[in-house]
Amino acid sequence: MNQNVMQSEAKGLPRMKPATDILETPEGFSIYVDMPGVRKEDLVIDLTEDELRIGGKSAYQSATNENRVHVEFGNVEYTRVFTLSHIVDREKIKATLKNGVLELLLPKAEKALPRKIQVELE
Amino acid sequence: MVIDMSPFYGSLDNFDRVFNELWGPLNISQRRVAYPPLNISEDADAIYVRCEIPGVNVEDIDLTFTDATLVIKGERKIEKGKYYRQERPTGNFQRVVNINSPIDVDKVKALAKDGHLEIRLPKAEESKPRKISIAMN
Repeated sequence: MNQNVMQSEAKGLPRMKPATDILETPEGFSIYVDMPGVRKEDLVIDLTEDELRIGGKSAYQSATNENRVHVEFGNVEYTRVFTLSHIVDREKIKATLKNGVLELLLPKAEKALPRKIQVELE
Repeated sequence: MVIDMSPFYGSLDNFDRVFNELWGPLNISQRRVAYPPLNISEDADAIYVRCEIPGVNVEDIDLTFTDATLVIKGERKIEKGKYYRQERPTGNFQRVVNINSPIDVDKVKALAKDGHLEIRLPKAEESKPRKISIAMN
């Protein structure tokens, strides 16, 4: 059994859609993606015209001399695509990876921010 | 386990093949019943408990080890804002692992990296297999 797990890992990783939270703040949108085990250098973020594509592989080393007693997770390949709203300022998108969570900050473009209109007195 | 008491002992190869065909490329249990998911493995010197806890700071993970149980506790906090989609689990979580082997409690080590927590529980000296030399007369 032990050997089979290793074999299946070599064959190609199972693809998974990572669990994601999308929320709006007054300044913009935040996207949180759970990607445990993915190292910074293995993370790929592609931005096209109106799509944000993220991908990454978790990199747990499989120790060969260990006997696996109980297995609930393994290496997977995360992939997910988000469609961007036109009010997002593409130039200012920020991404941080911390504790296995990818945080994307998508600020709203200046022109989309709510603006107060002054009423001028005559 | 040293002695395999199952009735299929010896003919595991056939069974393995059938199960592999059923489960496809992934050999791990697909049911997510408990959070966080964890793997347990062991080698000659230690037992390893590994789990996936993304988004939790190391300070917020509470690990306790009392005689034969390891308890992993923590909380996943919620972000502020207007949610459009929420798939990530939030709230308190706890998992208990029973360990049926004497552990050297002072040398238990835990390491967190990229949302992956590894706990190394070294086996106590007295539980390790020992070679006994036979004296010849």
